[in-house]
Amino acid sequence: MVSQLLTSTLEMVINKTLALSDSNSSLAKLSQKTLTILLEELGFPLSFSVCNTTEKPQIVVTTLNERADCTLKTSLRTLRELKAELQITELIKQNKLDLTGDIKVAQQFASVAENLDIDWQSELAKHIGDIPTHKLMQLGKQASKKVQFVTKQIKADASEYIVHEKRLVVTRSQIDQFNQQVFKVSEQVDELDQRISQLLSSKLKTNH
Amino acid sequence: MSASKQNQTSDKQDLSPEHTTHFGYKTIDKEDKVSLVAGVFHSVAKQYDVMNDLMSFGIHRLWKRYTIDASGVRPGNTVLDLAGGTGDLTAKFSQLVGKEGKVILADINSSMLNVGRDKLRDKGLVQNIEYIQANAQYLPFEDNTFDIVTIAFGLRNVTDKDMALRSIYRVLKPGGRLLVLEFSKPEYELLNKAYDFYSFNVLPKIGELVAKDGDSYQYLAESIRMHPDQETLKVMMDNAGFEQTSFKNLTGGVVALHKGYKF
Repeated sequence: MVSQLLTSTLEMVINKTLALSDSNSSLAKLSQKTLTILLEELGFPLSFSVCNTTEKPQIVVTTLNERADCTLKTSLRTLRELKAELQITELIKQNKLDLTGDIKVAQQFASVAENLDIDWQSELAKHIGDIPTHKLMQLGKQASKKVQFVTKQIKADASEYIVHEKRLVVTRSQIDQFNQQVFKVSEQVDELDQRISQLLSSKLKTNH
Repeated sequence: MSASKQNQTSDKQDLSPEHTTHFGYKTIDKEDKVSLVAGVFHSVAKQYDVMNDLMSFGIHRLWKRYTIDASGVRPGNTVLDLAGGTGDLTAKFSQLVGKEGKVILADINSSMLNVGRDKLRDKGLVQNIEYIQANAQYLPFEDNTFDIVTIAFGLRNVTDKDMALRSIYRVLKPGGRLLVLEFSKPEYELLNKAYDFYSFNVLPKIGELVAKDGDSYQYLAESIRMHPDQETLKVMMDNAGFEQTSFKNLTGGVVALHKGYKF
């Protein structure tokens, strides 16, 4: 029943999101088509069917496996990269994605996801009003900047502590220096090897 | 007329065992059951969905989704949603079978059918749904008509369940399947006791408060206890001719989904 809870939540979120975006024409192309995704992390399939029996096309999410026009076998991590339509063939080449059925169906679903254009600000304004929305957005931007700054600061402090104080990790320049030294030693060993070979061959000639 | 008043009327009759059936815990004449059950559902029809959500804490939606997922429905299928009530299963099937398919919402009770029709029309689901008032024992369809027949929380209200199962078998196409979603017997003793307490002490009070009809919800609790358990229903389906019959307990057996095929 966990799967049913997941599918009903997904269905609600997807259709609410689609209702906010003008995606009817692109969804109409997918009428009665089903994309099934088999995620490595889940023990059941997720099937997304575009239904044409209502005025606006809707997506029904089920765990039905029998009706897929296209089936994707992948992982949750790869799924995030799937939003871009062109990514599909690239991911197949990288063996991150296993596709059976009509690739066009997968590409069209990806295109619907990619073209979702929702003005969240005006949607929020409909519910709480223009001024609170503006204030909330400003607050959000400030908070986001602050979070970015704090994150940067923490990263810098942590690397300072780990690299310079505790000396647990070496710096990039130290790695480069080490690599150069290894390269030099490797060259010297090659030279020595050549000289030994030459000496051995000359000694062999004198013995004969 | 409320369910309790109807019961009192029926109790006065002298009944021979071969002509009797159960109406909750009461034994009544078989001929009376249809009208008594009709009385219950005429009474609760308008509050049916709200009560379902309240009584099951919304879990009935997941049980119904499970039924859809287990149905294997495909675009173009013809589906009969028997005792379909307010059309929860019909709504989903309608979307999944598409314009080429068809869903028939059948219920013996006109009030339930009207509520279901209004609800589905409000959702914009009109293209591939038909409504038929029908008794599950005497289905008014030709042999081999449907790919899928579902009956959700309806079989226990049917007077002659064996006859209804045979009737369903007749209208299914070869390769078609029946799915029976119904209250059943909880698997664990502790759950059974908690469920009993809830059914007989809390449920009628919610019914009284919300639907202003505690008697009908008392009937609901009693009818669940009188309904055949998982194994018995499976045998009944076998006897009606279904093959590869199986059941799956949901929420610890509070509800079970039985599935059987016609080959």
